[in-house]
Amino acid sequence: MPWKSLSACWYGGEANLAELREHFSFGRRPVTVVAVLVLAAFGVFAHGAPSIAPNTTERAYQRAHGAVVKLYGASLGREHGYGTGFLISPEGRIITVQTLLTAGRSLRVVTSDGRQYEARVVRTDDTRKLAELQIEGKDLPCLPPAESSQVLPGDSVIAMGNWFKVAEGDEAVSVNRGVLGLRTTMDARRLTQDVDYRGPILVYDAITGNPGAPGGPLLDIDGNCIGIIGQIVEAAATNTRLNYALPSEEILAFLGGEPAAGATTQPADGAPAGEPYLGIRLSKLGFRHVSAYVERVASDSPAAEAGIQADDLIVSVDGERVTDADSYNAAVERLLPGRRIQVIVKRGQQLLRADLVVGEKK
Amino acid sequence: MSGFALALFAMLSLVGDERAQGGVDPYAFERARAAVVRAAVAKVSPSIVTIETIGGAQPIQESGRGGPVEAGFRLAEGPTTGLVLTRDGLIVTSSFNFAREPSIITVTLNDGTRHVAKLLGRDHIRRLAVLSIAADELPEPEWAPRPEIRVGQYTISCGRALGGDAPMISLGIVSALDRRNGNAVQTDAKVSPVNYGGPLIDIDGRVLGILVPMAGSGGALAGAEWYDSGIGFAIYKDKLDLVFDRLAAGETIEQGKIGVILEEDEPSLIPLLDKFLPQSKGVKIKEVARHSPASRAKLRAGDKITAIDGKPTGDLPELQRRLSDRAAGEEITLSVKRRWRSMDVKLTLVRAAEIGVKPPDVEEEAGESEDETTPTTQPDEGN
Repeated sequence: MPWKSLSACWYGGEANLAELREHFSFGRRPVTVVAVLVLAAFGVFAHGAPSIAPNTTERAYQRAHGAVVKLYGASLGREHGYGTGFLISPEGRIITVQTLLTAGRSLRVVTSDGRQYEARVVRTDDTRKLAELQIEGKDLPCLPPAESSQVLPGDSVIAMGNWFKVAEGDEAVSVNRGVLGLRTTMDARRLTQDVDYRGPILVYDAITGNPGAPGGPLLDIDGNCIGIIGQIVEAAATNTRLNYALPSEEILAFLGGEPAAGATTQPADGAPAGEPYLGIRLSKLGFRHVSAYVERVASDSPAAEAGIQADDLIVSVDGERVTDADSYNAAVERLLPGRRIQVIVKRGQQLLRADLVVGEKK
Repeated sequence: MSGFALALFAMLSLVGDERAQGGVDPYAFERARAAVVRAAVAKVSPSIVTIETIGGAQPIQESGRGGPVEAGFRLAEGPTTGLVLTRDGLIVTSSFNFAREPSIITVTLNDGTRHVAKLLGRDHIRRLAVLSIAADELPEPEWAPRPEIRVGQYTISCGRALGGDAPMISLGIVSALDRRNGNAVQTDAKVSPVNYGGPLIDIDGRVLGILVPMAGSGGALAGAEWYDSGIGFAIYKDKLDLVFDRLAAGETIEQGKIGVILEEDEPSLIPLLDKFLPQSKGVKIKEVARHSPASRAKLRAGDKITAIDGKPTGDLPELQRRLSDRAAGEEITLSVKRRWRSMDVKLTLVRAAEIGVKPPDVEEEAGESEDETTPTTQPDEGN
């Protein structure tokens, strides 16, 4: 608030106390005796009174918004021809999500000052669904990824992006605020297809699961980039839109060429793994969503050694929930021979845990 | 704000920040608030459980024009959330979480132990359910007394559906009190299948209510379409207590029906009618279903319902709203006007499925025959 408006408060008498108090508390500009008197006159100089609108968000926004860009390009069917990204270097490196936009022939970038650039896709990551773009420019405002781990559930987070394309021309993108709700790992679907990425995500309660939002930055209250809003997905557990970001560490890993935690785990030495074998045959009664009841356990198999019996119902394999025969088969396919795992079965009204070492199919 | 929160806040704002010069440092406020939120969640977390179900299918809605259709909201397979109700193994959650009619239910406690659970009873009016597990010494949560709940106070919704090592939380405020026939507190914290069945808590970690889908009416999933909309509901503890014994005893509580289709007077006529007939207010019965509480009470088409249990019901929405809170098996007294005669009739509400079905132990009165043309099954808008 400039000095002019402060004196307006003084003469007008209709001061917005909250605004005044908020302004005063920032105190970046010199605070003179006049301002102190104004505050004293309104009786708001009390130290312990909680301020109602601490505008940390605006400062974070001021720090970050120059680096956020709008993307425009090809659209097809349900895929929208617009999106969000942000500059991570003054020389024009941009990070965004991998969509139809980044696969199209032409990708137009509009920076926060309204200038337009043609972007080139430098690299993409099919698992994380991230893309790095390059525009020709220098001394551009940028928002390099910072550490995300110090941000805890309950801390405020700020999401920026061009959801629903509401920001046009040189208009600034939109800002939503929420709190970090949970750090967890991704288990989601997109248009009924399972999402490959199984790595860490930050879930928050600001709504960003909307067209145009993916690719925008997630900030902490200091305006540091702690993540990138991910592509629109539905959480597998709930079938509801997930409001989430990939943490900044995943952006850095992508830029550094490190592979993501995917749906299929490969052995560390890169050698092709043998086919996993537990020695369990499931009952095949019914035709859809067959429950994972054990029909037979092969003798001398890992399952037999662990004490699994016919008529046990398999509830989970290596921490993954089994709901039917299909999900059992999928869970077993992901196992690596030689690994020690836990299988939980239901026998009667009891849950039993079986520890076993995954065998290899001969 | 609680004493603890205030103390923490004052402490942090005294420590200050280089960005603050006197007054309240907004960054210190943010940090203090986040710390208070985490402390509140940590306090209730031991009582929040993860519910997993195996088997079952997407519920079917009867009302489709071309035959039965799947409900509009596609139900996922969970996990979902519950809250310890008693230390000896009772868990409260939302009936939403069992709309698939699963064959197996398990409950995983905060300490990681997993138990097979039994679904005892469900309340389809308040969308609650009670489970039991063979465990004791469970950590009961602290409940906030209902009179202390205020509009504008902070709320935190907590749910276990997304995995991780802590509940997923969303911060909001109390938006309104006494919603949905006084059953629920309304909040703008995000409420969805992520936390249905979980607690809505205050910043002292005390439970304000159980989060449920409760918008609109109809099928088992009604209200889920409003997920994450900023309009969420949590059922008060005293409302849970009212039905607790019945749920623990294995009862299913369903909306009660009287077996009539109602009509409303032409809106333009009401002021005129009111002028000439001061007692004309009420809701007219259009049709009475056979073998229904209404037919047993000898109600007829054209009768006007003027009050439920002595409390006047002016119009159709009010009558429907009040009836929607009454369970099958409950007895109500309707005040009815038939031409110039007023009378009170007692009837016992039944489940929608029982309308049109002649109960073996009830003597249907003669004179019923004049209702021969009335429908034997209730359409959706029936009451």
